[in-house]
Amino acid sequence: MALKLLPFYLGEFKKRRRKTALITFAIAWGSLSILLLMSFGRGLSTQFRVAFRGLGDNLVMLSGGQSSVVYQGLPKGRRLRLYAADIALLRATIPEIEFICAESYNNEAISANGKETNRNVHGVGPLFDLMRSQVPAAGGRFLNPDDERHSRRVAFLGWKVAENLFGAEPPVGRQIMINRTPFTVVGVLKEKMQDSMYQGPDAEQVYVPFATYAQVNSQPYVDRIHIQPRSREVSLRVEERARAVLGRKYRFDSADKYALNAWNTIRDAEEVGKIFSGIEIFLTMIGALTLLIAAVGVTNLMYALAKERTREIGIKLAMGARRRHIVTQFVLETAFIFFQGILWGVLLAFNIVSLVRTIPLNYDNFGIESYLTRPVFSLDILLLFLTIMGALVFMAGIFPAVRASRLNPVEALRYE
Amino acid sequence: MIDCRAIKKTFHMGSASLEALRGVDLLVKAGEFISIMGPSGSGKSTLMNIIGCLDTPSAGTYDLDGRAVAGMSFDQLAEVRNRKIGFVFQNFNLLPYATAAENIELPMLFNGKSARQRRRRVEELLQQVGLLEWRQHRPSELSGGQQQRIAIARALANDPPILLADEPTGNLDSQSGEEIMAIFSGLWRQGHTVIMVTHDAGVAAHSQRTVSLLDGRVVT
Repeated sequence: MALKLLPFYLGEFKKRRRKTALITFAIAWGSLSILLLMSFGRGLSTQFRVAFRGLGDNLVMLSGGQSSVVYQGLPKGRRLRLYAADIALLRATIPEIEFICAESYNNEAISANGKETNRNVHGVGPLFDLMRSQVPAAGGRFLNPDDERHSRRVAFLGWKVAENLFGAEPPVGRQIMINRTPFTVVGVLKEKMQDSMYQGPDAEQVYVPFATYAQVNSQPYVDRIHIQPRSREVSLRVEERARAVLGRKYRFDSADKYALNAWNTIRDAEEVGKIFSGIEIFLTMIGALTLLIAAVGVTNLMYALAKERTREIGIKLAMGARRRHIVTQFVLETAFIFFQGILWGVLLAFNIVSLVRTIPLNYDNFGIESYLTRPVFSLDILLLFLTIMGALVFMAGIFPAVRASRLNPVEALRYE
Repeated sequence: MIDCRAIKKTFHMGSASLEALRGVDLLVKAGEFISIMGPSGSGKSTLMNIIGCLDTPSAGTYDLDGRAVAGMSFDQLAEVRNRKIGFVFQNFNLLPYATAAENIELPMLFNGKSARQRRRRVEELLQQVGLLEWRQHRPSELSGGQQQRIAIARALANDPPILLADEPTGNLDSQSGEEIMAIFSGLWRQGHTVIMVTHDAGVAAHSQRTVSLLDGRVVT
């Protein structure tokens, strides 16, 4: 029956809205603060993950090292190299490998369009683009298996290399000279965030088919072997098995971490993920605790409002209001006040987040702004926020309401 | 019918206690118009609050229409106030932010009446107290006499058999006071039981009989 009085409660609330404007503003401000805190926290975490994945997703990268222990009568300090033939060996012996490819690189003189520069030129096998997040910008493509099969003289450029050589002109289809050998540009890397790298950012690199690279470069070994395991869960097993297989072949102790360098981005990503999830939780907790303090203030204000209305409550009790009528009215009024404040807070936060997201990213120089200008206002953030606010509405509304409903009618009527 | 027997009311303030009523017997038949008189502190308002179920006695019995009021829960008392008793206060006690019509509507809201029933009843009552054109005005825009007439209309909203008036003319000029007393007399003639607290003998003269209180006891 108390809910049948909803229009009456709403009507009374509207009449008193000016008195509650300050509380509404406080709730709107609090809502805005926590939502921005959560959105920027999520954005920061997401951007770090994006930047981390700029190198590639779920990779185990192997490169030759130097043995650090004596093994089977062989001295320590031996230089160990990986070779293209290892690709077939690893693929044959480790079934958990999804993709595998080789990479070699060397610093070469590159010229085009009357300009000359020195850049790392990488010979990479097929599937390198999938494994290392090499997405071509519109109008171009990455190196394909035919390029590899026919040892084509084609190149895929990092966007900064393309800018250096061609400026604003479209580079695709144009010729560049790598160490005085002509190559045709087939694609340019699309701009991306990247905070992990081994020979500088991909934006500064030049990629050619591995077979072509081997023809123009006499280096017999490969610098890196990239492995993508079938799943994240098997990445450590793949790494261990690769050490064991290569250890048998090149006669080094598979436990010797220095003999074979293995960069496991899955493990790194998990660690980084934990750090940023921690930051996100921390920011959310700060927000929630701040809101809790705010809620104590709001509860106080609601108490003051309820006290101010003591005589009014007395009149209603004299007219036959039951306890539930008083409790419902106060709880609903608190809910109305919170609803208004929350609505303003959510709308403002959403607009601020949307506005901030329109700031263009500077892919040439990843500053802190690259991580802070992509806040995320997602459904789960909204739901978490509404859950916290729901608890606060209950806290701020129920105590003054119960106090009001327990007033003695005679004393309430006498209240000045 | 109101049947109060040996009603006592003691207020405790810290270690001190005050006996406001010291064994009051009062019988009011349905359709009677009585005045309760007495000097300040004689216990007349306390007795009025107990009769109006706004308060409960410390001792004694109070039967309203044959039902014992003692032992009723907070909400049961609220229901009795809502259905059986209409209150008129000296200081009107209207909701300041609500219009005249909304003030009259208030007891009906707690009675489960539909919006349509409430609207119709408000119109009737405004007509009855001669303030139909003032329906959208707030109490601050009305004179004392008009406010008291709205308060009487509110007291009649659920058509209760009993009207309790605590110094209803206390804050009014003599002409307005006369008008208000004329309304009460009219309501009594229509069959309402009217119980009025007053210290004004002229006002009490409108009633059928007067009960005088002194130091918490009935003296006449």
